[in-house]
Amino acid sequence: MRAAAIAAQKKLGRKTVVVLPILYPRELFTAMDVHTVELWGPPGPPRGPEAGRIQPYACAVVRNALAFLASGGADAADAVLFPHTCDSLQGLATLVPDFGGWKKPVLRFHHPKGEDRPSARAFARAELSSLACGLERLTGETLDAARLDAAIALHAEIDRIKGALLRRRACLDLDDPALYRLLRRGEFLWPEDHLAELQAAEGRIGKERRRRGVPLLITGYVPEPMAIFDHLASGGTFVVADDYAAVGRRIPLGPPARGEDPIGTLAARTFAMPPCPTRAAAPARRMEYLSALFRRSGAAGVIVHVPKFCEPESFDVPAIRRLFSGIGAPLLHLEGELEADLPAQSVTRLEAFAEIVESARSAP
Amino acid sequence: MIGRRVSYEFMSRVAVPLLSGAKGWRRRLLSRKGGRRTGPFGPPLECARKLKELTARHYLAGRYADGAVPVAWVTSGFPVEALRSLRFHTVYPENHGAICSVKRLVPELSEAVEREGYSRDLCGYARADLGSLAAGKTPVGRLPRPDLLCCCTNICQTVLYWYRALADRFRVPLVVVDTPFVYGDALPHHVAYVVDQLRELAEVAGRIAGRPVDSAGLVESMRLAREGTRLWDECLRTSLARPSPWTGFDSFFHLAPIVAMRGTGECNAYYRMLLDELKDRVARGVGGIENERVRLLWDNLPIWFHLRDLSTLLAREGFNVVCTTYASAWAEAGRRIDPADPEGSAARAYLHVFLNRDLPHRLSLMKRLCEEYGATGAILHSDRSCKPYSIGQIDLKDRLVEAGVRSLVLEADHADPRAWSAEQADNRLRAFMERFP
Repeated sequence: MRAAAIAAQKKLGRKTVVVLPILYPRELFTAMDVHTVELWGPPGPPRGPEAGRIQPYACAVVRNALAFLASGGADAADAVLFPHTCDSLQGLATLVPDFGGWKKPVLRFHHPKGEDRPSARAFARAELSSLACGLERLTGETLDAARLDAAIALHAEIDRIKGALLRRRACLDLDDPALYRLLRRGEFLWPEDHLAELQAAEGRIGKERRRRGVPLLITGYVPEPMAIFDHLASGGTFVVADDYAAVGRRIPLGPPARGEDPIGTLAARTFAMPPCPTRAAAPARRMEYLSALFRRSGAAGVIVHVPKFCEPESFDVPAIRRLFSGIGAPLLHLEGELEADLPAQSVTRLEAFAEIVESARSAP
Repeated sequence: MIGRRVSYEFMSRVAVPLLSGAKGWRRRLLSRKGGRRTGPFGPPLECARKLKELTARHYLAGRYADGAVPVAWVTSGFPVEALRSLRFHTVYPENHGAICSVKRLVPELSEAVEREGYSRDLCGYARADLGSLAAGKTPVGRLPRPDLLCCCTNICQTVLYWYRALADRFRVPLVVVDTPFVYGDALPHHVAYVVDQLRELAEVAGRIAGRPVDSAGLVESMRLAREGTRLWDECLRTSLARPSPWTGFDSFFHLAPIVAMRGTGECNAYYRMLLDELKDRVARGVGGIENERVRLLWDNLPIWFHLRDLSTLLAREGFNVVCTTYASAWAEAGRRIDPADPEGSAARAYLHVFLNRDLPHRLSLMKRLCEEYGATGAILHSDRSCKPYSIGQIDLKDRLVEAGVRSLVLEADHADPRAWSAEQADNRLRAFMERFP
């Protein structure tokens, strides 16, 4: 699908940038008429022997990405962007261009780490300007403020609908596999095309609750393998609240605050996102957010779904366990390695968890 | 408060030196009775005793620090100069983690936090430190409760997650100095970002200390930090001599002051003493090992819990680790510190820390070390619980081999012996050593 999306955009004369996880200012790319395709691994076995250049105790996202890039999987793209999400992605951002695996241009993007503060605001702004310069070099075009404003509005609308779909999913006439497929198509579709699909889906939000089964909150890195949703459905559960870094955590908590200029608006957006460990949000703030999400959504249990060796996500697991144990909510901690399909052991654990949550709900 | 302060000053200035003096006297008495170490090593460094005294004084004083002086828990690469000028007592959880590892306490401490949900795949230092808090156990007696947590991302992002957990536990302010990764040279807006954060640090630390940062004190601690870095570099450079007067494994222990006491007169006095001793050994031809035949480079952190056995295995065959990227890292960045430009130079120095720089820089340092120190082989410790240091090592090894340096990637962990197989590692090391004429 991603290769087809790149080919389609090429025909329209657009350049494509492959983007590693997680956050990046899509608005800048759209304003520069650059198509982005996200690379979350891809899941499954590494697409070539180059994964062996990174030790097996690094996460599958970086090992698979290295194999994919080095085997030519992304050769149709014109550049690659490495957001500085964690140590492993930071390592990949020097390993691939400097020691082999990618010969085309490389862009890098640093997030300010830690809580909102004046230095972080100023840096976010400077870093966005620096990335804009990189895109200008790549395209040979100049960033136009009016086009950036339009792109900000476009993505704000995309985020608004995604937020609505996630928040009101219990009344949505789409099951989890279909909803997640739709939301994740934004990882590779041109934004206007994705918006059209989202608008159609928004029309399917009803007034009545349509989803039946045990509602769950799910948090983690990326919903891979996507088969997890099929197994959840077959166990009689569904996701009612999402805190995946790849999905829910990329939707701002509110509409964008206007900055002094479009870059200022984008910088402000950095600090309007849900708390995420990869950007070092204070654990207390994150736990407060998860607690509110759990209460508001009416979830009856929690699944923590993290890739093995993922430090930012794993460090928060004990606090999440404490939080939900304190409020008596059943919790399942599921580790994965970006497999193509869910291993049978995990399926059994999901089935058992569904039974536990169901019996806890029906207990007097 | 006054009582705590008197205890703190008494313990740090009087009691520990007295205790150490008594221990030293006992040791000298024993050595006269033939208690000297034998084996493939040269005579032990006299300074090792002073190092123990320094470390003991630091940790013993720490027991009395909370309530007496402001206390900060600090990452090893943190710009501490402002804290020094405010008379903070600093605790280095990484250094504490290394001590826990040497004492082989990490599995027990780690299990205490694994029960809470921490994964065994996380950094061994972090697990040791958090486990020490959970289990209420430490080999250093007691760590003072922090008033401030200070974390700099120039060594890894892991410290960020680790210190967030500490902040959550202690409910004290966490100051983050976020240092964007450096490709080539730091960009001007990256330097400006760090400068801004140093100003924010001064404000928070000043508020906790109850007084503003004194600029003369800041300049003095920066001068001391730069001087300390220079002295440490000179100590390392004595290994250019053949035989090297000490081993790289010795340097892992002796780098404790530049990590934990950087910017103090105590640290510099120690390195002057160590330098004198090393120079004396060079002049007398005394080596760190008895029969230095092959000189090696070590990459990554030490395997703390197995250091003695590892160094013995190598030394018996005449292999001496004469240079290490880890110890050299502490001699590199501090050179950029300039007391005439405290903020800008500190920002540049702490941005250009070895682990915060790209792989071409790392490769060029490794090649330079091999060339200068005459190392014909390299051991790259693939450290399971330190991903930033380990990613890229496979390619680095290949490039070193291309440059004519026989190289080995050795799988281990800097802190947790559960990720270590002594038999397999010994086999690999023996096979590696056989490749040298």
